[in-house]
Amino acid sequence: MELFGVWVAAFLTLCIYSFLYRDNPFYRFAEHLFLGVSVGYGIVLSIHDGLIPFAWNPFWKAVTEREPAGLLKLIPIAIGLMFFARLVPKHAWIIRYPFAILIGVGSGLAIPNVMDASIFRQLHGTLVPFAQIYAGKLGPFEIFGAILMFIGVIATLTYFFFSVEHRGVVGGISKVGIVFLMVGFGSAFGNTVMGRVSLLIQRVDFLVNDWIGNTIQSLPF
Amino acid sequence: MRRQVPLALCFIFGLVMMLAEFSPHPVSQGIRKEIIDWSLIIWPFALVLAVASLVHTHWIRIRRRAEYWQYSYLVFIGMIVMVVIGIPFGKRHPAFVWMFENVQVPMDATMFSLLAFIIASAAYRAFRARTFEASLLLAAALIVMIGNVPVGDFIWNKLIPFGDDLPSTARQWILDNPNLSSRRGIILGISLGVISQSIRIILGIERSYLGGGD
Repeated sequence: MELFGVWVAAFLTLCIYSFLYRDNPFYRFAEHLFLGVSVGYGIVLSIHDGLIPFAWNPFWKAVTEREPAGLLKLIPIAIGLMFFARLVPKHAWIIRYPFAILIGVGSGLAIPNVMDASIFRQLHGTLVPFAQIYAGKLGPFEIFGAILMFIGVIATLTYFFFSVEHRGVVGGISKVGIVFLMVGFGSAFGNTVMGRVSLLIQRVDFLVNDWIGNTIQSLPF
Repeated sequence: MRRQVPLALCFIFGLVMMLAEFSPHPVSQGIRKEIIDWSLIIWPFALVLAVASLVHTHWIRIRRRAEYWQYSYLVFIGMIVMVVIGIPFGKRHPAFVWMFENVQVPMDATMFSLLAFIIASAAYRAFRARTFEASLLLAAALIVMIGNVPVGDFIWNKLIPFGDDLPSTARQWILDNPNLSSRRGIILGISLGVISQSIRIILGIERSYLGGGD
């Protein structure tokens, strides 16, 4: 069964790589199967990791062990069921209720969390090295890095600041921002390419060792 | 009723979640946890819409005999097999795990590895050092790529008599300094945007999520 699984995986891998030649029935077969399997996997995960532990288990406990607090879970279940109103055009507006709650919760959570994780901590990381410079803890190369970091952050922010025209001093700073952005995008591109190439190596390794290698080893002669 | 109640719900839930974050009192933390649990219960129902839309699209393709309509059956087959095994027997059932390990994971990895070829051909067209900015992009990408693989340091150390392991050192310096500073600038800009948009949503100024109609 294990070798059969390897053969299935190898066949599907080759089906997808056949796209390198051109669009063909094998690729379309794998593409559509992948879509279906992924959606099915997502459905199963959302039920087993979402509905069952957070809704069904507390509700069942409330019924069997007479814990009224668990009955509270009926409220979000009822709210969730409102999504089905989308399937009835006349009552489709009801879907706004669960959407409004989810968006409200998301927005309420985002404000303090984003402020903490993405603003205060990023500013902290940018400015703390200057305290270390003041305390004499950094060497010349690290001081250069800290100053470069500060200039880069300010210049990048200036580039995205469209409330003033990018001329004169602002224009100059925003041009420096472009330099930092290009290096940043280049690095991101390089990392992405290397990540994809790693996946390619892993797939080729699978085809050569797991598929061909195991198949040869399993031959009786 | 159709617009005011959702706006009020959004305001109440948004305000409660925001204030609860700043209050360590057990009651407010309990309310916060309960509402997060509610969200985790409500979200899977939203998946129903996505699945209904997908099924509808492929069902229409089959009915209209659109181009490549036969493949739409494969979408249904893949989905039904996973659901029929996964929902009653759980995600640790051997058949479900087999499907995940031998069908989904290999195809997922292969799809992403396919991007290595596509990204390479895109780079060939985009990475022409015609301007100073394009040259910077090209140089940063090349240094990061060469510094990422041990063979980069190996070739450098063999050919150049100074600067041991310079490619990987240069890569790390680029990632830790100019790259990080531009990322920080972008993150700060996005964060300010997220906060202002969240405030607009909670206060009911931004209402596009309600859709059209009355």
